[in-house]
Amino acid sequence: MTNPPWADVRDAFESLVDENPQAARKQLEALRREAPEVAAEVEALLGHHEQVGAFLDQPPAISTEEDILVAGTLLGVYRIEREIGFGGMGRVYLATDTRLGRPVALKMVRGDLAERPSLRARLRSEAQLAASISHPGICSVHALEEIGDTLFLVTEYVEGETLRAVIKRGTFSADALASTARELASALEAAHRKGITHRDLKPENIMRTTEGRLKILDFGLARAERAGESAAPAMTLPGTVVGTIAYMAPEQLEGRPVDARTDLFALGIILYECATGRHPFSAPTALATSARILETEPTWIAELRPDLPRGLASAIVRCLAKSPGERFQSAAALLTAVDSQSTPAVAAAMSGVGWWRLHQIVVIGLYIVAATAAWNIKEWDATRPTRWAFLAVGVIVAIAGITRAHLLFTERAYTHRLPDERRRTGAILRGADVVTAVLLFLDALAIAEGRPVAAVLIMALAVGVAVATLLIEPSTSAAAFER
Amino acid sequence: MTRPDPPAPAELADQVYAELKRLAAGYLRREMPGQTLQATALVHEAYLRLADATPVWQDRNHFVAIAARSMRQILVDRARARGAAKRWAGLDRVSLHESLHAAADVDDMLPALDEALTRLEQIDPEHARIVELRFFAGLTVEEAAAALGMSPATLKRRWSLARAWLHRELTRPEGARL
Repeated sequence: MTNPPWADVRDAFESLVDENPQAARKQLEALRREAPEVAAEVEALLGHHEQVGAFLDQPPAISTEEDILVAGTLLGVYRIEREIGFGGMGRVYLATDTRLGRPVALKMVRGDLAERPSLRARLRSEAQLAASISHPGICSVHALEEIGDTLFLVTEYVEGETLRAVIKRGTFSADALASTARELASALEAAHRKGITHRDLKPENIMRTTEGRLKILDFGLARAERAGESAAPAMTLPGTVVGTIAYMAPEQLEGRPVDARTDLFALGIILYECATGRHPFSAPTALATSARILETEPTWIAELRPDLPRGLASAIVRCLAKSPGERFQSAAALLTAVDSQSTPAVAAAMSGVGWWRLHQIVVIGLYIVAATAAWNIKEWDATRPTRWAFLAVGVIVAIAGITRAHLLFTERAYTHRLPDERRRTGAILRGADVVTAVLLFLDALAIAEGRPVAAVLIMALAVGVAVATLLIEPSTSAAAFER
Repeated sequence: MTRPDPPAPAELADQVYAELKRLAAGYLRREMPGQTLQATALVHEAYLRLADATPVWQDRNHFVAIAARSMRQILVDRARARGAAKRWAGLDRVSLHESLHAAADVDDMLPALDEALTRLEQIDPEHARIVELRFFAGLTVEEAAAALGMSPATLKRRWSLARAWLHRELTRPEGARL
């Protein structure tokens, strides 16, 4: 359809708009006969004129937030692409470093904060520290820039979603939880080794990249951020205060000195949330939450997640100890605990402890075969010695088998008592195995003439039992326990 | 004593734009968040400052026309940076109709309004100017009429047409635009 001439439409509309309805209808009828297209257009516009209501009545108001940088704005060598978030210090933008052609995140420092020399100095020293950490699990800080009166931090741009978003989708499998613990602990360890603590670790500060890696944001900036929040309380929504308190360790809440172990407490809360989908100290208000952090023990994680490896569950509980002295003393210690005890099934079979367990189970199997063989010899050659040999072998393998089963159970349930138990039972087991091997070997001689094939197999079994106890067991034990 | 040469028109526009932007940023930094500021106040303050500094601005009407244009640019850019266009596109037709009348959603509407206004500009630049003055700079009918040198009654009729035309553009189903 072609548009009717604008000048005609305009003139007709403007002459009709102030007329009373009847006169307007009459004039419109006349126009319809003369120029139907113009009349239709004018009628449509008059219809909209009646519906217009408050449309465009009020000029747009400018909300008094910080000035927003528009896409395409150049700040030094950085070209703003879009706003990606809002932090304690101000807006966060995605920008392009035009020199290197790479994406970066710009964390702007609000004008009123940038004007405070103490905060500027602190930010500078903390940014310097943060820039010295280089770890794939930590978002790198590239620079602190000052352009005109604009102060901002340039960091690596991490594409992905926050751990909070991941937690909201559902609880983690045991394997995913263990690898989350491992990734975060090794990132923390890298920073702690340089003497840098995070102090504000929470799921909102951890990103899962599109490749599935975890990256901790804002390392070492917590103090500057907090100063920003307290300077402009109105900037913080009611929920955010709770959010910040919710990951504070007891020593932080009480204003006592904080260190690396403070981050481990926050990590414990985060892992607990990943495992169960709920905060271990959640309460309706900030005050109640802090009281719980200080006084209440969380619901035992193994009750909520019985499928978790015991080691992993107790590592999380240990992170949540009220007193820093009772927690792991370093992220490295946590890492070791997670690695040695929570290893998922496939990996466990390959680890030292896995081999040791397998050895115990195989030897118990050999015991059953040995007892069966002795029974058969007694059946085939019903003489006094073979009967006695069967009885002896039966009693000895029963004792040794139960002892080995006891060790397996101890290893699973009371790991710390295992060294004692192994020392106590080591000689008994070795003696029992050697005696069994010798008895079985001699026993087999009795049927060597009548059933040579069976005799050779049983002798081989005897040799196998001896080799298992004298040669193989020392090495599997060493692999499992002497590191 | 020689008077400095009056700046070229393009330079004037840049100067107004920069001053308005600077003023907005200054206000925003000082004031508490959550409050709002009318565009009109900003334009008036910019005029007072620039009129003092540059004698050429003593023609207030000339200034206002340029300022209105700058305000349009600043406000639309701001709304775009906040992702307004995306939110706007996500609205279905019923809520779109409601949003046109609800002051709270003005920001979301701005990019779409800007596009429609550009189309109006091609058909009738004068009507587009009126929208800039009345809506983006927040001038009253009388002020806008004075700025454009026409009678308030004429301005009012043209404003009605521009408003009806834009209303139709913004409520038009997606894809039906020419």
